[in-house]
Amino acid sequence: MTLHVSGLSAARSGRTILHPTSLEIELGARIGLVGASGSGKSTLGHALVDELRTQGRSVAHVPQSPDEALDPLRSMAFHWQEAEKALGLHTGTADQPMLFEALKIAGGDLKKRPWGWSRGMQQRFVIAMALIGSPDLIVLDEPTSALDPVVAAATMDLLDRHLQDRDTAMMLITHDLGLAARRVSTLMVMQDGEIVERASTQDILERPQTSAAQSLSAHRNWMALPC
Amino acid sequence: MLRLDQVSAKRGNVVALEDISLSLSPGNTLAVVGESGAGKSTLIATILGLLRPSKGTITWNGAEVSTCRPSLVMQEPRSAFNPAHPLLRSVLEPIVGQRATVPTERIERLCTGLELPQQLLNRRPSEVSIGQAQRVGILRALIATPPLVLFDEPLSALDAVTQKHTARLIADLQREEGFAALIVTHDLGYAVAHADEIAVLKSGRIEEVATPESFAVAPKSDYCKTLRDAAIALGALEAVG
Repeated sequence: MTLHVSGLSAARSGRTILHPTSLEIELGARIGLVGASGSGKSTLGHALVDELRTQGRSVAHVPQSPDEALDPLRSMAFHWQEAEKALGLHTGTADQPMLFEALKIAGGDLKKRPWGWSRGMQQRFVIAMALIGSPDLIVLDEPTSALDPVVAAATMDLLDRHLQDRDTAMMLITHDLGLAARRVSTLMVMQDGEIVERASTQDILERPQTSAAQSLSAHRNWMALPC
Repeated sequence: MLRLDQVSAKRGNVVALEDISLSLSPGNTLAVVGESGAGKSTLIATILGLLRPSKGTITWNGAEVSTCRPSLVMQEPRSAFNPAHPLLRSVLEPIVGQRATVPTERIERLCTGLELPQQLLNRRPSEVSIGQAQRVGILRALIATPPLVLFDEPLSALDAVTQKHTARLIADLQREEGFAALIVTHDLGYAVAHADEIAVLKSGRIEEVATPESFAVAPKSDYCKTLRDAAIALGALEAVG
């Protein structure tokens, strides 16, 4: 089974920020969506999630900012129950202790509202919610931006383990090609609201065709700086 | 030279820094790394005198640090500016009372290097992106050619390409003007590529001070090895060997 969307587009204040885009995503695929700030990555992520949900697909979305995912007036426990309900699970059936332990948020007080947790903990809580079930697709938008390196690496490793035996496809949205390169097999490069290149991770790293991919590839690592 | 001698500091009753000794010479860069809550931002607050050390001394060339008028690039880019004022007014704050005219050439050079259109400085903080606000924060910190600049996560909101361009600009200016830079960062790739020394903080104490080479190749403590390996897993550092 393949996920298929066509004609996704978006405009803001009369300006097109996402040109008509069609995508096919194989089940179990690991896709990276990379590009500079403002190239339209998050917009495509949102449009993709909305369209697939309209089609009746189950999609977990970890937005760039936890504020987008969490209601400031509701407790963390409420959010968790809602996530379980959305997947048709009975309350308390998800393996919360394992997920919280792996994401190092076991000390978080679920009775508190989001603002009682640090931003990094909120981000990991949203990731934990996305890992409750086995949706058709998980879209992660800069999932490690608020995390320190040890916690960020542990989070990405948990994600890899979680997806290993599932058909769930993953789309990792990031401006950091170095991060994407280690986690995905296919890369899509965005520039000015369009996907300008799509190829295997290795091809993009070694033989980038477009200026956007070349720039990202050249700057992916601090130690290999072009002058 | 910035010198911290056996500095401890408390946040309320909690000891946030303990027995910190560090030195930083003009023209050099010291990166301070470590996990969230390790005391990195507290260290900056203590150096600036915003938090008084409970023990130890902090000096710049033997005098109080405030005598050198250090600059700070704040962690939260937007809240670093007065929301009611155009950015230019905030940018000029460090030189109020020092110069009669606006240093247009300096602003021009910094704006070009930071890839910021100059007109952007006429906007208010809420009218620019977080990444732009972060670069305006760097512009403000460097406008008065300070001898000591403290950077708290200065590149966190920038995309990978802009990060490298901005880091390059800071390094170029540092070479020309000789300021001492203390950079707090989560990005170990940045620390290894640009710092002369890396100080690893853990639970308020210094775990290790190392050159970038020895940190990347042969970290001494288990914790530093964990940090290094995490950076490799995240693609911020390349594995050696």
